[in-house]
Amino acid sequence: MSTVETPLLLEGAGDHELTAARCAALEARAIRKSYGDRVVLDDASLSVHAGEAVAITGENGAGKSTLLRICSGLIRPDSGHVSVRGRVGFCPQEPGLFDLLSADEHFALFAPALGMTREQAIGEGHDLLAEFCFPTAEHTQCRRLSGGSRQKVNLALALLGAPSVLLLDEPYQGFDHGSYVSFWEHVARWTDAGLGVIVVTHLLEETALVEDVVDRVVEMRIARCQDEDCRQ
Amino acid sequence: MKVRRILVPAEMTARELARRGVALGLLTALPLAFYVASTHSGGDAVITGGIAMAFSIAGASIFIALTARPVDQRLALAGYRPYELLLGRLLLLEVFGLIVAGVFSVVMILGTGPAEPWMLAAGVGLVALTSVPFGLAVGALVPNELEGVLILIGVVGVQLTMQSTQMLAKFLPFWGAQRLLQHSVEGTVSVGAALPASLAYSAALFMAAAFIVHRRAPTPLVAAA
Repeated sequence: MSTVETPLLLEGAGDHELTAARCAALEARAIRKSYGDRVVLDDASLSVHAGEAVAITGENGAGKSTLLRICSGLIRPDSGHVSVRGRVGFCPQEPGLFDLLSADEHFALFAPALGMTREQAIGEGHDLLAEFCFPTAEHTQCRRLSGGSRQKVNLALALLGAPSVLLLDEPYQGFDHGSYVSFWEHVARWTDAGLGVIVVTHLLEETALVEDVVDRVVEMRIARCQDEDCRQ
Repeated sequence: MKVRRILVPAEMTARELARRGVALGLLTALPLAFYVASTHSGGDAVITGGIAMAFSIAGASIFIALTARPVDQRLALAGYRPYELLLGRLLLLEVFGLIVAGVFSVVMILGTGPAEPWMLAAGVGLVALTSVPFGLAVGALVPNELEGVLILIGVVGVQLTMQSTQMLAKFLPFWGAQRLLQHSVEGTVSVGAALPASLAYSAALFMAAAFIVHRRAPTPLVAAA
């Protein structure tokens, strides 16, 4: 029986990696992760420093989301370590929301965890949603929101409580064109405010806009294949 | 530990549960249907109806645990401890379960007229008490609703078909409640071990649920020097 290994290559780090390593807001080093026989990440390293935006791109199955989830602490790596300055805000690819609760109720639920009062969390949540043209007067249950609106709530929850590092896994899914453009403009604002931002993205649309915002693009590839067919 | 970190998750679970109107109706109707369907068998209807209430309360607990699982990881990442979320849900679901148990006890006391009505109420209350940690433990363990429901049907179904005097019945979670319910109609069954057995079972189930959610919780990241 043939086996396929899919270790990781990171490209685009270059000299910048040395700078980032000195004052990284988040640093992942020598990460290895496998599921059964399948190696998803092998000796992967990544860092972002305060005020920097990094885009992670790559084909399906390259391990982008796995790396981000390891950086957030949601998945334990087989080996390697992650260190962070401050708190991480994580926006998963699939909105992790309660279908029967409204956006305000989500903010209220997150409030005690973030050391905020209910009023503070809802107020800050409204401000964040308003930036994305979400109708904050609505108290609609999340199940009745459009995909894009759910994703805006998802993003607002990641930003709630002023994290120092933002990990965003394709956070604009379901956004219309205007919201997509607005998202990247917001990334620029967040980095200007001193946040370290890592965005996992399948494709980079509006390339010129993204290039203006992103400091580095890290491409992940399925680098080695030991399957006999692949060798051929 | 701040109480707010338990009460707010409990409040949000209550809001979520209250919005499941159809599910709440079915949760109440299900044990009632078991009770009504077995009224021809006299006092056994109390045992059947009482134990069948576990379908409702444990079922609700399983679904609450499973729907919360993806969000719980984010909540833990934000700063909740997994046991705080679990305690909040335990608290709310126990209150809900005891309300259902109270209503259902009145229905069965009026419908059957047991020899010891308070024992019946205690038995039904014990079913509610045990059902919540049972549901939370199953919900924490299984990957999907289907597996959870099958375990629920299996355990409660086996408990329903067994006499409380059988050896295997003593190892099932609702044995203590079954003894109390049996005693309420027959008045001859020893119930000394019923309460300690149910409390021990409930505590063990809750500990198991807490252990599983703790294992699944995000890894604390190392603070950069």
